[in-house]
Amino acid sequence: MSSLRTAIAALTCTALLACAGCGGVGAALTPETAGLTTMGFGLPDEHATARVAAYRAAHPETPVRIVEGAFDAQQFLSSVAAGRPPDLVYADRTTLGGFIARGALQPLDDCVRRHRVDLGQFRSAALGQLTYQGRLYGLPEFNLVRVLLVGEDTVRAAGVAPERVSTTDWGALAELTDRLSEVDGNRLRRIGFDPKVPEFLPLWAKANGADLVSPDGRTPRLDDPRVVEAVAFTTDLVRRQGGWPVFKALRDSFDTHGARNEFATGQEAARPMENWYINTLANNSPKAAVSVRPFTDRQGNPISYASGSAWGIPVGVRDPAKACEFAVTMTAADTWFAAAKARKEALARKGRPYSGTYTANRVADGRIFAELYSAASVPLIDAGVRVVLDLQDKAFALPVVPAGLEFTQAYEGAAHRVLTGAQDPAGAMRQAQREAELAIERARR
Amino acid sequence: MRRRPFTVLALLVLAALFLFPFLWLVSASLKPRERVFDNSLWPDPFTPANFSEVWQAVPLPLWLLNSLLVGLAAALAVTLSSALVAFGFAYFRFRSRNLLFGLVLGTMMLPAAVTMVPVYLEWDWLGLGNTQVPLWAQNLFGSAFFVFLLRQFFLSQSREVFEAARVDGASFPRLFTSIALPLVRPGLIVVFVFELKNSWTELMKPLIYLRDPDLFTVPRGLKAVLDRFGQGGEAQWELVLAASTIATVPMIVVFLLAQRYFLSGLTTQRR
Amino acid sequence: MSVVRRESRWAWFFLAPWLIGLALFTIGPTIAGLVLSFTDYDLVNPPRAVGVANYADLLADPKVGTALWNTAVFTVLHVPLQIVLALAIAVLLHRMAVARGFFRTVLYLPVMTPPVAMAAMFLLLLNGQTGAINELLSWFGVDGPQWTTDPGWIKPGLVLMSLWTVGSTVVIYLAALSGVAPELYEAARLDGAGRWGQFWHVTLPQISPTVYFTVLVNTIASLQTFTEAYSMFFGAGAQSGTDGDAALFYVIYLFQQAFGALRMGYASALAWLLFLIILVVTAFQVRASRRLVHYEGSPR
Repeated sequence: MSSLRTAIAALTCTALLACAGCGGVGAALTPETAGLTTMGFGLPDEHATARVAAYRAAHPETPVRIVEGAFDAQQFLSSVAAGRPPDLVYADRTTLGGFIARGALQPLDDCVRRHRVDLGQFRSAALGQLTYQGRLYGLPEFNLVRVLLVGEDTVRAAGVAPERVSTTDWGALAELTDRLSEVDGNRLRRIGFDPKVPEFLPLWAKANGADLVSPDGRTPRLDDPRVVEAVAFTTDLVRRQGGWPVFKALRDSFDTHGARNEFATGQEAARPMENWYINTLANNSPKAAVSVRPFTDRQGNPISYASGSAWGIPVGVRDPAKACEFAVTMTAADTWFAAAKARKEALARKGRPYSGTYTANRVADGRIFAELYSAASVPLIDAGVRVVLDLQDKAFALPVVPAGLEFTQAYEGAAHRVLTGAQDPAGAMRQAQREAELAIERARR
Repeated sequence: MRRRPFTVLALLVLAALFLFPFLWLVSASLKPRERVFDNSLWPDPFTPANFSEVWQAVPLPLWLLNSLLVGLAAALAVTLSSALVAFGFAYFRFRSRNLLFGLVLGTMMLPAAVTMVPVYLEWDWLGLGNTQVPLWAQNLFGSAFFVFLLRQFFLSQSREVFEAARVDGASFPRLFTSIALPLVRPGLIVVFVFELKNSWTELMKPLIYLRDPDLFTVPRGLKAVLDRFGQGGEAQWELVLAASTIATVPMIVVFLLAQRYFLSGLTTQRR
Repeated sequence: MSVVRRESRWAWFFLAPWLIGLALFTIGPTIAGLVLSFTDYDLVNPPRAVGVANYADLLADPKVGTALWNTAVFTVLHVPLQIVLALAIAVLLHRMAVARGFFRTVLYLPVMTPPVAMAAMFLLLLNGQTGAINELLSWFGVDGPQWTTDPGWIKPGLVLMSLWTVGSTVVIYLAALSGVAPELYEAARLDGAGRWGQFWHVTLPQISPTVYFTVLVNTIASLQTFTEAYSMFFGAGAQSGTDGDAALFYVIYLFQQAFGALRMGYASALAWLLFLIILVVTAFQVRASRRLVHYEGSPR
């Protein structure tokens, strides 16, 4: 069948080609040799390059082809459908979760057993994002958590003591937001507190004691009154600061990744944020006084939610054992340690401080922070490391949800409709619940 | 005639409004990041480094080359095939001619969205789903609008020329290549430059078919730049605007050189 | 074998490319799409027949309603504005004896700009906090809206942006205007018609076939609007798949369902619904044109 298809393709090509050559047919992700091809993985720094080098050194007989570029679901699924998938796929764990229920990835239990991988070294929230109906479908890589960032100077200038900025007491947070934000007619000059909804809704719901979905990932709980309350509260915070259009227009004009970011210019006072942003701030505006704190639930306990990438092996690859070996090597503690060391040395050559490496591998992190990380010259990084390390194991994650993408779109869309005033919180979440139920049911039939 | 000053003034204001975005684009692409939002048309401090930075950050030269190759292939293919078909409709008299030509006009009205998915599945089945082939190969089969346009050109030639050539014993292919085509050369150029422009500005097809960044055309690449450095990305708008400037300039130059053809192509009287 | 017969065999040779293309890329896929719309197909698992489930889903899907509404609003705003503005500019330009070429070039330049580049520019020009457009409005004491973030203003913002490429319609009208016989104006003037009178009784009827044609083509294009809105509000850069709810046009949703969620069957059902809508709208416009369009030589 596939040879017939190749013949037709070749014929079409030869017949059609008056010009331009068979543009990039070779770029289809067909492994030509007996090596490994990965998709979705990039080589931006030593964390990636050093680990690939480690695998190559251990397995010189296996050529590895890293096809760089952002992960693309359509490309991936059509390659699986065509029976020519890449040997390994690297993507966000939520994205991979969506493919598990589709049957596009293979279970890794045998592989993990064969290589005697101790699953206990991985953080359980990360494994939970890759486990479906009792079987494991991926090996987790990096681990991101959410923290609370407070621009101290900005808060002080507004006449508020920085330590009072907290997410524990919602009523107080609303008042604080009023004081910290600066609204001038229909223009907003400063964001007092950005709740980061719709994206961080899982975190706000958790803070209110609710999960967006049942532990087995099959029953959405988007219309739970506590979720509705979280939606109502966070969207009201935005409404207090001039409303979504004004709020977002100001946010869109921030130089978030630059020297004149919103914390440096005082255009924003505080917000919850993924922990990678601490490094961005430390590199771009080391002088800005920003403090890092855990996000707290309504009882005052530190909580966070985790996300990150993982390796998966598609169904129908030629040599699953070899692919598995690669994933195991990439996520092993020794490999991580070597990569973190290489990263630290490379940064030192540029005269920049090493700010740590956060992985889903507990053993790797333990060694990295014990042996490689030293209190940096930048206090912000130091404060960040202390908070993030503490949260790494406390952070929760959503389980594998069939039709994960549609599930995310359902609650994010609902929160967005409330933000823009198109719907009330209860009605929006009722609709989201219906949409999520339908999508999950469709994915399972 | 009394009202002339008003007309001139109105047109000058319009021209200023229409030119402003271009001037704003070029000047903003030469500003440092924190000044991009200041709306002045004078970049200060003058920062041409944006261009070299974006040139290094993404494979712009490769994308420009891809666009050029795909554009030339698409334009060449559609010009030749549409001319063939248009000549068939213009010269020959056969029974179902009007019915078929009505069908050509009918397909012009068919929304592209209707065939989007099945055509993708066709290419995917042929194993060409992640190549540049689908971006131009369909043009080998003519395009309804260009067939219509070129037919007008052929019809406006006097038939005697063709008849005489037939009497002299020219075969049909010969009649087509050595008599008909040279006669409608302006029309061929119109079709060529139009398709070049279409291909250069097209986003949807590259979004559907191109997955590998090395295969991207300019619009697809620019969308990737916008996603990475713009909205929701790293907010490095000066790079987005520099890339936008690079993407815009070639077509503006082509237009200024081939203006006559663009405008005559649009203004062919439709009967 | 008669000459005519041989000639018509050659005719098929010349038509062959188009006929093959018609089968492969037009009629074939259209029928295939209809068949596909009764299946569930995600590229990975083989297609499964699901009867009319896709059409039932489509009626229950709130996003379809949103997308249809957005598309209708955009079309209803964009088409009349585009036509009226193009007419006004064309009439002004037609009266210019000098520098007509210069103005025509300036007006046509935006048409040559890649829509993605346009989207990048207008995201900043339309920004409610810092954009040049609101700055211009503030000179006249108008406090401009949040064009890129307020759901109520996103579509008007897109319409405003679409008017920048009005030049494509202007040049068509210019050609039509130069085809109007001067003696008709002469006669109208003798009847005592002023500028407006001449416009209403001579210019408009004379170029009405062209206007009708542009209305038809613009409507079909507007109903399928995709690139600018997609570039601005969707894709990998959108913070979440929700920011563009107000800009979720029908073809964008179709594209997302087909190539994002990989629901090929559902997307085909969406495509067929769009096909029907466009057919109905076009048929309606054709009917209306019989009463409004003036063709030379037909009694009025």
